[in-house]
Order: sequence, then structure tokens, then C-alpha cells
Amino acid sequence: MKQTYLTYFLSAFLFIGFFTLQAQEDEEEDWDMYDDFELEDDTPVKRYAAPTVSGMSPQRFISVSFDAQMPYNYEFSEVRFPQSNGTGFDVDESNPGVRESGTADFTGGLRINTNIPIISKSSFVWQSGINFMDTRYSISPDADFGENRFTLPNGNEARGLGQILNEDGLRNINWTNTFFFPMNETEFIVFQGQVDMSGNYALDSFQPLNTLRYSAAAVYGRRVSDYFRWGIGVSRTYRVGNMNYVPVIMYDWTSKNRKWGTEILFPARAYVRYNFNKNSLLLAGFDLEGQSYHIDEYSINGNSYEIRRGEVRPKIEFQTKLTGYVWASIQAGYRWDWSYDADELDGSNDFFRGFFGNQEFGMINSLENPFYFNVGLNFVSP
Amino acid sequence: MKKTILLASIFLFSLTGFAQEAEDLVGVWEPGHGKAKVKIDKIDDKFYGKIVWLKEPNDPDTGEPKVDKNNPDKSMRDVPLRGYRILKDFEYKGKGVWEEGTIYDPEKGETYDCIITMKDENTLDIRGYIGVKTFGRSDTWRRLKMKKK
Repeated sequence: MKQTYLTYFLSAFLFIGFFTLQAQEDEEEDWDMYDDFELEDDTPVKRYAAPTVSGMSPQRFISVSFDAQMPYNYEFSEVRFPQSNGTGFDVDESNPGVRESGTADFTGGLRINTNIPIISKSSFVWQSGINFMDTRYSISPDADFGENRFTLPNGNEARGLGQILNEDGLRNINWTNTFFFPMNETEFIVFQGQVDMSGNYALDSFQPLNTLRYSAAAVYGRRVSDYFRWGIGVSRTYRVGNMNYVPVIMYDWTSKNRKWGTEILFPARAYVRYNFNKNSLLLAGFDLEGQSYHIDEYSINGNSYEIRRGEVRPKIEFQTKLTGYVWASIQAGYRWDWSYDADELDGSNDFFRGFFGNQEFGMINSLENPFYFNVGLNFVSP
Repeated sequence: MKKTILLASIFLFSLTGFAQEAEDLVGVWEPGHGKAKVKIDKIDDKFYGKIVWLKEPNDPDTGEPKVDKNNPDKSMRDVPLRGYRILKDFEYKGKGVWEEGTIYDPEKGETYDCIITMKDENTLDIRGYIGVKTFGRSDTWRRLKMKKK
């Protein structure tokens, strides 16, 4: 009996609570009165440009993906030492004698990217992330070249580059910080700084810290509307393999019906975007990827020997929401070899060759251009 | 006995003060983008906020009053945005902080966990986030008052 009373009591209580809530919700509201509301504290309020525009692909906080290139042939030159021996390949020498050739049956591996908001206010955003890119190789050398061990200028024996790639692979770990400073409702400045450790190191034995490489970019932009922003700037980048200074162009636009758009941060990436709906979209364009990879075995006499890997990746990418804030991405494209040459850096200090410098190369290498695929899971921003 | 009465009085005063602080949230507020006004009310012991004014009340595509067209629940897509409850279920936790609530972004049709912090009597820091507060975005809202006539 007591239980029945309790049930009645609880039902009545819940009903009254619900009725009260509904009654409050259903009160007639004079919407026009809100036209006459003004700021309590009329100190002029400063408004700031938002760090994105409508319709863009979601920003990734955490991303895990797997990248795989289809088989391709490679040709590597002799390994020379312009700093240690004073002999290298002329900068215009495009077809030196081939010392190694073969097929890379597999190139790729795991990529983990993070971009965590440390401070996220309307007046300032600071995002920081550690990124890891593993590139494993499965190499089948051509029989004509046999074993490619050779003697370094200091008398030590060294493996050929194909064998190094096959056994060690290449790794990149970087720490990237991005700062977004809106100056007012329209203008903003973005700074990005990045420090990279790239090479054939193992995760339990990092390479010397003087092989860390630094990149930076600064962009001034204008957010013209909720659908369009542009920006111009400069960057110091390793995206073409060598250290370089290049202009940056930002152009993010979305059509009024939110179906079409562009996401351009040239030269790093440029896409045309089609939004199927707010949960799936297609990007078509290209990425420019690159790093300078320290090869420990060839780094002698206090110098750093580095593979200048730069590649352009024309691609199509489909992104779709799986659940909540987890999105999947699938890319298919073409990996076009921009540079796989090598430099010997005096005392590990990098130098600027740019597009017109004439410093000699340590190796001149060429890779055929295969298709590639990338699948990933992304935890995205609100 | 006197000591008991004194302790009880202090306890009652602190409760009243707590409840008074909690109600500081009630009022009409303007989000950072300035495109809307949101009225926050207390219903029972929780706080709710609804859109009461839109800078652009009509959808430029249809000329009709804006509706919640991005809502993931199709049955809600015809609900007018004016009057829409975007803040729900906030509880006062003391020290000018309201938690346990959610905020709805009509532009994305997404609902986020949310924490409200009163920076001063006329300014709120509203942080929407996913799971942990790190993964979020903050906005500053300012208190509005009725114009003097």
C-alpha cells in the first residue's frame, strides 16, 4: 500500500513539475520588446573575426591515418660528400650515373596528428600539436647492382640508401603551434611555428638535436564575410624538401548555398570543396608534403646528410561523419616526386638554395610517380 | 543554544547568498557575434536560455522566419529559431560557475557540453566543448537591459 502511495505521490510531483515547466514555456512572449534592449555596460564592445568560415571541412583535433603508395621504380645516384670531400653533383645535373635502382613495393605507414586548443577565446586562439609520420619501405633492388655497401670518406662501411630505407624507413616527428590573432571583426593575423625531427632514427634512439629543422609562417588576412576570407603572407618551409622561403596565399570561400567552396593555403594545399550535406564532403586539389630527413649513417665529420624529400599530391578526398565528432576520411591520389635528392650540411647547419642557388647536391635521385591511398579517423572540432 | 542559533543563521545566510548569486545569470544576453539575443530564465533549480531576438529574423532564401533547419532531428526543422531554447539544464556550482548544461549551435545543428562563467556582473564566458573542456571554443556574452524611454 505504502508503495502505491509513493508511486501516486511521485507521479503527481513529476506531473506538477512538468506542467509548471510547460506553463512557463508557453507564456506569451512579446518578441518586439527585445528590439529595445541595449548593452548594460555600453563600453564599446570589440568584436573579432572568427577563425574559420561557414561550410569548411571540420578542423581536426586528433587524426590517425594510414598512408600507402602503390609500387614504383627508383634510381639513386652514387653517394657523394660535397662538404667532406669537396665533390658533389652540379645543381643542374639531372641524369647522373645510376648507382642503385629497384622497386619500392610498398611505401607508407601510420600518421598521427594532433592540434589541441590550448587557449581558445574569441580574441585569441593558440593551438598546439605533436605529429608523427612513419614511412616504411619494402624495397626490391634490381639484381644488376648487387649489394650496395660502399666506403665512406672516413673509411667506414655504409649501406646503400635502398637498404637503409628498407631496414630503417623514415620518420618525422614535429611540434606545431598555431596562433590566431583577430585584430577586429575583419582583419586577422596567423602565425605558425614548427620544429621537426626527421630521419631514419628509431623511436628509442633519436638523432642529434642539431638536426632539428624549423619552419614558420605568418599570414595577414581579412574575413570579408561568413563565407569568404583571404590572406597573404610568407613562410620558411621544408615542403619542397629543401629549406625555402615562399609566399603564402589563403583563399577560403563558400557559396551562399553552402554546396561549393575552396580551401586554399597555397603552396601547402589547395582544394575545391563540394558539400553533399553538413555531414559529408568531397575535396579535390593537392597537398605539398616534404621534409629534410637526416641519414645517420652518412652523417660524418660533424655534418648532417639529408634526403630532401618533397612531393606534390594531387588528390580527391572524401570526408564523412561517422558518429558525434568522429569523422572518417578517404583519399586517393597521385604522388608526384618533386625532390628526393640529398645534401651534406656543413656542421648540420642548413642553407638556402631556393630555386636559383648553385650549391652542389650529395645525391640526385628520381622516383617514379605512383597512385597512393590514405584512410583515416578524425576527432573534429565543435 | 545561542551558538546553535548563530550557526543556523550563518548557514541560512550563506544559502540565501548562494541562491542570489545563482540568479545573477537570469537576464537577457548578447552573444559575441551580436546576431542574436538570448534570455536566460530559472525554471525550478535549473537555468535555460532561449533566443528572443535575431538580427536577421527571416531566412534570406525563403523570406520566412528562420527555422532550425540544421537540426539533426528532421521533425524539429520547422521549429522557429526565435523562442528556441539553446541553453539547457544549467546548475549553479558556486563561485560564478554554472555547469551540467548544454548549448545548441543552430548554425551547425550540434549540441555541446557547456560551462558558463560570470566574469563580471555584465559579462559571461560561455565555453562549449566535447567531453573535456580542452576540446572547445569560448565566447563572451554581454548583459542587455531595457532601454530607458
